[in-house]
Amino acid sequence: MKFKTIIEPFRIKTVEPIRQTTYAQRIAAIRAAHYNVFQLNAEDVLIDLLTDSGTGAMSVYQWAGMMKGDESYAGGRSFHAFVKSVNDITSFRHVIPTHQGRAAEHIISRAMLKAGSIVPNNTHFDTTRANVEHCGAVALNLPIAEGHEPQTIHPFKGNMDVAALERVLRENVGNVPFVMITVTNNSEGGQPVSMENIRRTSELCRAHGVPLFIDACRFAENSWFIKTREPGYADKSPLEIAQEMFRLADGCTMSAKKDGMANIGGFLAMNDDALAATCRNSLILTEGFPTYGGLAGYDLEAIAVGLYEALDPDYLHYRIRSVEYLAEKMIAAGIPIVRPAGGHALYLDAKSWLSHIPPHQYPGWALSVALYVEGGIRASEIGSVMFGRQSDGSEQAADLELVRLAFPRRVYTQSHMDYVAEVLLHLRSVAKEIRGVRIVEQPATLRHFTSKFELLPN
Amino acid sequence: MTRCRSWAEPWKIKVVEHIRMTTAADRDAHIREAGYNTFLLRSEHVYIDLLTDSGTNAMSDRQWAGMMMGDEAYAGSRNYYALEDAVREFYGFPYLIPTHQGRGAENILSKILITPGDHVPGNMYFTTTRVHQELAGATFHDVIIDEAHDPASDHPFKGDVDLDKLDALVREVGAERVPYTSVAATVNLAGGQPVQLSNMRRVADYCRARGIRVILDATRAVENAWFIQQREPGMHHHSVAAILKLMCECADGATMSGKKDSLVNIGGWLGLREESLAEQARGLVVVYEGLHTYGGLAGRDMEAMAIGIRESVEEDHIRSRIGQVHYLGQRLIDAGVPVVRPLGGHAVFLDAAAILSHLPREHFPAQALAAALYLESGVRAMERGAVSAGRDTTGENRYPALELVRLTIPRRVYTQAHMDVVTESVAEVFEQREQVQGLSFTYEPELLRFFQARFELVGRRE
Repeated sequence: MKFKTIIEPFRIKTVEPIRQTTYAQRIAAIRAAHYNVFQLNAEDVLIDLLTDSGTGAMSVYQWAGMMKGDESYAGGRSFHAFVKSVNDITSFRHVIPTHQGRAAEHIISRAMLKAGSIVPNNTHFDTTRANVEHCGAVALNLPIAEGHEPQTIHPFKGNMDVAALERVLRENVGNVPFVMITVTNNSEGGQPVSMENIRRTSELCRAHGVPLFIDACRFAENSWFIKTREPGYADKSPLEIAQEMFRLADGCTMSAKKDGMANIGGFLAMNDDALAATCRNSLILTEGFPTYGGLAGYDLEAIAVGLYEALDPDYLHYRIRSVEYLAEKMIAAGIPIVRPAGGHALYLDAKSWLSHIPPHQYPGWALSVALYVEGGIRASEIGSVMFGRQSDGSEQAADLELVRLAFPRRVYTQSHMDYVAEVLLHLRSVAKEIRGVRIVEQPATLRHFTSKFELLPN
Repeated sequence: MTRCRSWAEPWKIKVVEHIRMTTAADRDAHIREAGYNTFLLRSEHVYIDLLTDSGTNAMSDRQWAGMMMGDEAYAGSRNYYALEDAVREFYGFPYLIPTHQGRGAENILSKILITPGDHVPGNMYFTTTRVHQELAGATFHDVIIDEAHDPASDHPFKGDVDLDKLDALVREVGAERVPYTSVAATVNLAGGQPVQLSNMRRVADYCRARGIRVILDATRAVENAWFIQQREPGMHHHSVAAILKLMCECADGATMSGKKDSLVNIGGWLGLREESLAEQARGLVVVYEGLHTYGGLAGRDMEAMAIGIRESVEEDHIRSRIGQVHYLGQRLIDAGVPVVRPLGGHAVFLDAAAILSHLPREHFPAQALAAALYLESGVRAMERGAVSAGRDTTGENRYPALELVRLTIPRRVYTQAHMDVVTESVAEVFEQREQVQGLSFTYEPELLRFFQARFELVGRRE
């Protein structure tokens, strides 16, 4: 193409006002939230980069689908539209809708795991890990070594350490009910997994007779990275790449709130008939009847349409480029980030940026508080608060102390990103004044959502 | 009760959804393919869908406007606060935990309140509620009044709790093994039958004196409030909204499926009065549902539910809602079809045991009647009898006193003309009732078998 500027492949049909706050208002708000950005009122946030999950803008076609939602309790046509889309993309025989991704994880964990089972994954996400551990099983992370090195450039830092996986499978025969591979690898910085790596993982699993499940939340973004970075895939469409990826697995869990371009929803898909029957029975208890799975018919329609929109090359080009755009500004300013930039988020390396705050004072968390107070920006910590507490209750520093600036899909413009960059540059100049935090009160699981904190003296 | 005077729907139609009639040959093929289970039919093969009133409502233009105002922030969405306000204002529970639907709330409540070995009394079981109680290790005990089990009794409040039965259970197992009494308003499986306010107050007094909580299944509490207004002495001058609040005052907590009374397609909540319980519930909601300020719902769904709650207590709405159910019921009574009396709030329940008296219980007359009704006219109804009741702990079929087919009316969806077609279809099947054959299982799931079970005809007369 003759022009270099990448535009949003859409125009705006509906807007939602956002509100400026004063510094004093933000101080009051973060205090009331006990220094936990999850506890802030969304109205007090100017730019919300807490998550890309369920925060996307739907298209006119998805809204039209919403109006076509068939709300029949059983056998609705929206369900059949949903199954058709998922079948086409994943080729899995059984498609089971759930109200969101964690419910799919919960059901598959309950169906397949028992106390002492081991689940290897390139890196478990927080809810996946919670669901695995809830069953008394061990959630084992096996990323390649480069995955832990924020500054190392590697095109597929999300890859599974296949040699380590082979050892685990060899030494734990009969005790690994399934292997998971998360695309993209969220907790390691939204880093992609190569087709080659998925293929080798798949071959290994098949040789050991262990099913492979893909945690497919960001399958479309991963497909784009394969297309643009992996030899031999440049001429394939993201849809073809996704189809190839899913054919290497035996099933998947999906949060449609990411690459389903929906505000709510998820699914579980698989080939095994007996396992599907078990999962459907379990689904009815906690989710809903198998043809709606705890979703409204209109949600199923929105996902059926959204899955294809997420695979549109123009959209993916714009999507990945938006993150790179902010990343380039950070690199130019010398702010440490995980490199290369991930698919759905920019990850600030709080450990090296705020080296004056030790891990037990949660540098990532401290940075997320500062981002809000200084600029009204909400981001989430992915570090020792999220992962530090071990299943025995002890505390262990996470490998990485990251702050994730997650990009909601199709929501913010380039000028919003310019503002974010400006706030970050300002934070660089006051970095030494950012104070560590202490946990005052915490729940038994998933503590980052509801824990209360206080600021430590400088 | 005397026949209702004419009423009109307090709305006009803004958006329509097409439905399609099928041929008898089509329907024969479809019902076989569905294993004679109406749950397994595709909705596009259904003409008038009376399977359930759950999540099948038509939303108003105001609710759709609310849908466009969804705040999809992961945490602290303003729609959560709108829902919290509506629940506080109309139900009066200070602590709100949103869930993706009612069973999500039941799952969490059972897990926080029940210790294995406990006993939970309730005014008749409901399918998903009992399963959650049992999975948490409790035994369910039916303490509803005897009249509830008699389809012909015209007791005005067949949902009432029998205090003597409740007292006998508490004396037998000890109050400390009874974490809560479950009061459903209305009682779905008794035929959508209401509970009296005075009865709820007596239950509350009895339980509170013994340190037992009362948990309200508030799914159709607004419909129940309307019956109280119409039938309970001294209540006629209270608004439905005021009665709803009085009912909730009898409870320490409530589980709610917004898919019924609250006029939405998805959503539910758990309401509590105790902060410590709310904390425990929030710890679990994040595992099963979603962060406690969205509970597995989109922001827009919470907004639609908040608006739906306000619409649900409007007198004109509830009068036409129940008026329509009673219109259908009265026409069926006029046609001589045995139905559960008095007519309930959300559905007309056909007495399948009386209609198909030639079929033994083990041939599932209600399942057979629902299949026959679909074959006749494309009307989809739901079995509420032995198939729904499942098996007891020894593996034997439970045969509840009531063997019913439920014609459930979605809110604001069908017109009087649709109800006329349903009447004609049921009357036709009733005329031909001796031709209807029984069914036996070809596939039977372990839990909540009615959803996915498959059947074949027994004793097919060639």
